[in-house]
Amino acid sequence: MEVLLGITGKDFVLTASDATVARGIVVQKRGEDKSRALNKHNLMLFTGEAGDTTQFAEYIQCNTQLYRMRNGMDLSTKAVASYVRKELATSLRSRNPYTVNLLIGGVDPKTGTPSLYWLDYLSSSVKLNYAAHGYASYFCMSTMDRYWKEGLSLDEAVNLLKKCLEELKVRFIGNLPKFVVKVTDVNGIREIEI
Amino acid sequence: MSYDRALTVFSPDGHLFQVEYAVEAVRKGTCAVGVRGANIVVLGVEKKTTLKLQDPRTVRKIALLDDHVCMAFAGLNADARVLINKARIECQSHRLTVEDPVSIEYITRYIAGVQQKYTQSGGVRPFGISTLIIGFDSDKVPKLYQTDPSGIYSAWKANAIGRSSKTVREFLEKNYKENMSDDDSIKLAIRSLLEIVQTGSKNIEVSVMGPDSILRNLTPEEVEAVVTVIEAENAAEAAARQSSK
Amino acid sequence: METTATLRFLDAPASIAAFKHAASEDDIEATASACVDMAPREFAHPTFDIPAINNPVEFLKHQTSVDAKNRIKIQHGTTTLAFKFNHGVIVAVDSRATGGSYIASQTVKKVIEINPYLLGTMAGGAADCSYWERELGRRCRIYELNNKERISVAAASKLLANMVYAYKGMGLSMGTMVTGWDKTGPQLYYVDSDGQRLKADLFSVGSGSTYAYGVLDAGYKPDLTPAEAIDLARRSIFYATYRDAYSGGFVSIYHVKEDGWEFISRTDVNDLYYQYAAEPKPSLAA
Repeated sequence: MEVLLGITGKDFVLTASDATVARGIVVQKRGEDKSRALNKHNLMLFTGEAGDTTQFAEYIQCNTQLYRMRNGMDLSTKAVASYVRKELATSLRSRNPYTVNLLIGGVDPKTGTPSLYWLDYLSSSVKLNYAAHGYASYFCMSTMDRYWKEGLSLDEAVNLLKKCLEELKVRFIGNLPKFVVKVTDVNGIREIEI
Repeated sequence: MSYDRALTVFSPDGHLFQVEYAVEAVRKGTCAVGVRGANIVVLGVEKKTTLKLQDPRTVRKIALLDDHVCMAFAGLNADARVLINKARIECQSHRLTVEDPVSIEYITRYIAGVQQKYTQSGGVRPFGISTLIIGFDSDKVPKLYQTDPSGIYSAWKANAIGRSSKTVREFLEKNYKENMSDDDSIKLAIRSLLEIVQTGSKNIEVSVMGPDSILRNLTPEEVEAVVTVIEAENAAEAAARQSSK
Repeated sequence: METTATLRFLDAPASIAAFKHAASEDDIEATASACVDMAPREFAHPTFDIPAINNPVEFLKHQTSVDAKNRIKIQHGTTTLAFKFNHGVIVAVDSRATGGSYIASQTVKKVIEINPYLLGTMAGGAADCSYWERELGRRCRIYELNNKERISVAAASKLLANMVYAYKGMGLSMGTMVTGWDKTGPQLYYVDSDGQRLKADLFSVGSGSTYAYGVLDAGYKPDLTPAEAIDLARRSIFYATYRDAYSGGFVSIYHVKEDGWEFISRTDVNDLYYQYAAEPKPSLAA
């Protein structure tokens, strides 16, 4: 039932994750943030097996921070995605692999060029202009195919995201009342209300 | 029998010579001072003159361990690199296990713990460095700690390690005041270093951390400005002494 | 799972030399397991032996998977709840232990007093909960001695989550709420044997949790008085025991305050039935 969405714009990445944590038929929490800031300009969103998700995300977060402490500079979005893909590939062939699906979005801190990577637990990694994980892909990919274009402004991207979330409300049986929406640009990562 | 061959062997009068030799290596290292003010904590280090063709940016004696912790050292540069690396890993590992960043005392204890372990294990030699560790915990109180090759650690208001550290420490003892302002703390750190650094600002590097836990490295111009003030004060004082005679 | 002994270097001093090679590995996991044993490392102790084979999780499948013929069946029926409000945290639990359709006990203590400032609740395997929360108590004490300050609830709950996460898929069954009062005020976390760890204002765990939620969600607001909050918690557990066959016995209530937790009451649900039956139902008029 979990939903992740990501849209690249002119000089930012807009991401949304549903805020619901459920176990069986019971909602345990409304208002969970299913993302971690890896560094100032890179955000990772995650869904998947309970426990694995945060354990993996925080492990990656600490290692990207360690990179910064050691090297005095941050990893780029592409570098982070490559690193995470390698970690997933190693994990996949271990005793108990992490079952996590991810979106990694970020911008180049100098040029503002956005990039968005779609990764799954089988360690596929694809660079996309817009992406979705979970059931959302059945409902939202076509919407984004229809409306997404190069160089979206933030307002346009927010409107596109609203169209996607609206469609989920209309057609998706799951009840997802709240989404955590974040913008990543040269100024860093911030949460916005839509 | 020579008691300085194997590290783990005591001499009959209870000395571990290898550890004492490590302390000697520290004494040969360039000097570092730490000063705790009312709201900030300052690290000042004596920088070796870089050679004409050398890139000075690649020679650093102040290292950030985590966003809110910083370390300066005196002694063997290469040894420090190993210790810094271990400490940085521990900082992240700590965040991973208990969510909170390390406290300054915790990371000091960890570093001292590593140093101690290298005095009591086979096949290794002690780290030839002493460290000064500064930073802020969640209580927003400036912290300053020192460790040495034997693994001893302690907290200080102001302290110096490395070459001529005794002279500098005595200077600090004479001139330290409680609750110093930010400027006074920086000035005291630089003044104490000038006691032993003859070449002035170009061989001094200063980093400052405030309660926002962000490390700020003073630019050479800022250091130069403080040095100029200190020299002017000293000159005025000398002149006053001269005229009163 | 790495089976590191804490003071390994004392048994084999040369192991520190071997560490130098391990350090060339560039990630935390590889280095930390061979690293110097400071506090977080100490927390890696003790560890259980796991089957000495390539894949212990797979090996245990015939006893842990849902459709296994010889599945280990552990006590699952329970109702526990905890919620934060303006005067701290209220924790309430039932006291029934079941093994299938058999009521094994009506007097189980499902609130685990980890230390004077921390409480844990018990749902799932009774042994798993009491063992790991007792182990958590030990680690919290070591933390306190090492760091000269009490552990935060966030840290304590994370320690517990990390411990059980290491045994993920090997049959542990635990759904617990860790609560207490630390420097940052009252705190409430949910931790389970999947390694899931959540922070929120209100949780209910166990087979009766849906019934408890039904009463609790309807009556909860942060500005309840302590007396109202205690009454709401008691009623929530009572109605859960009324509907859920696997919950029953006594309702135990604790109140977490700034100076530690306080035991409030322990009431037979049978008495509560008659007490509540004699009361008029609340008005539904808007």
